[in-house]
Amino acid sequence: MIPGLVQILLWQGVGELISHFFLPVLPGPVLGLIFLLIFLMIKGQVNQSLALVSDAFSQHLGVLFVPAAVGVILFLPQLKAHALAVISALLISVVLTIVTTALVLRFLAKKGADES
Amino acid sequence: MNPSSLQIAEIWVYLSGSPLFALILTLTAYQIGSYLYQKTDKYPLANPVAIAVIVVAVVLNLVDMPYQKYFEGAQFVHFLLGTATVSLAVPIYRGIAVLKTRLIPLMIALLCGGIVSIVSAVGVATFMGADSAIIGAFYPKSVTAPIAMGVAERLGVSPTLTAVFAVVTGILGAVLGSSILNLLGMKAWWQRGFAMGVAAHGIGTSRAFAVHPEAGTYASLAMGLHGILGALLIPLLKSYL
Repeated sequence: MIPGLVQILLWQGVGELISHFFLPVLPGPVLGLIFLLIFLMIKGQVNQSLALVSDAFSQHLGVLFVPAAVGVILFLPQLKAHALAVISALLISVVLTIVTTALVLRFLAKKGADES
Repeated sequence: MNPSSLQIAEIWVYLSGSPLFALILTLTAYQIGSYLYQKTDKYPLANPVAIAVIVVAVVLNLVDMPYQKYFEGAQFVHFLLGTATVSLAVPIYRGIAVLKTRLIPLMIALLCGGIVSIVSAVGVATFMGADSAIIGAFYPKSVTAPIAMGVAERLGVSPTLTAVFAVVTGILGAVLGSSILNLLGMKAWWQRGFAMGVAAHGIGTSRAFAVHPEAGTYASLAMGLHGILGALLIPLLKSYL
């Protein structure tokens, strides 16, 4: 597990450095993700240690955003004041996103099937 | 104050001063959330993150601890978000390796879905008069929470509001997704799963896995690709919208 963690932390470090000095618009960890993805595609396989760490993180991803999300208690008055707007925006957005993605995908799949 | 309560007060001063209290509280609250999620047969409304946030908030209120002080201790958990983000490369890599043949229609659908999710959320919120802090947090909210929060920081919007909106989006998508897809008459599992992953990221993905493994695989790929695409496109959209 340790070699995998070291590898991830190193890519994160590279990402943070590049983000800080060259690409401030992209967060360091996202750059780290892109670099690691490119690295994996070139290498053509995921080693066991890396897979272990990654699986552990994806299984318990949720716990990592609890500390920040609890900060919502500081925003409660603001959210209450705009409750209707917030709920409508979230609801309408998620419904439209599912509908759009699904319909575009079905349309393209049908088109692909007709042509071949 | 009698001696024993004095002692308790002393112990409390000691404990609340170290990160230990915040860490125990965070992890225990999440464990309670996970337990209830398992017990309700992974019902999306019993989301472990939502439950954990409520438990932590209630406890902080009871012991009268300010949020800033809690976060000081819990930042060790928070730090790992970046590391977890990098590790998302592995599921994305696995997904791409399996799904190479359909990558082009998937990317087009993802682009359309991603743009609709931002424009509709920001549009509705603006139209209904939400304030700028809330509107700002709607830009990154459809992307998986760890990436969304990183993007939010760079945009100068609240990572907290972004995380909360992302989790609520995931829950709504997971609760409503199947009915919407049925209503549209969507039959192919891969299309259903991918739509769930684009709209409802991690929470939608775990819902999709519960329904059908093929749907889950595509949902997981959608969530990862949407994360990368979002990080690249949201700053652009934010400066033009």
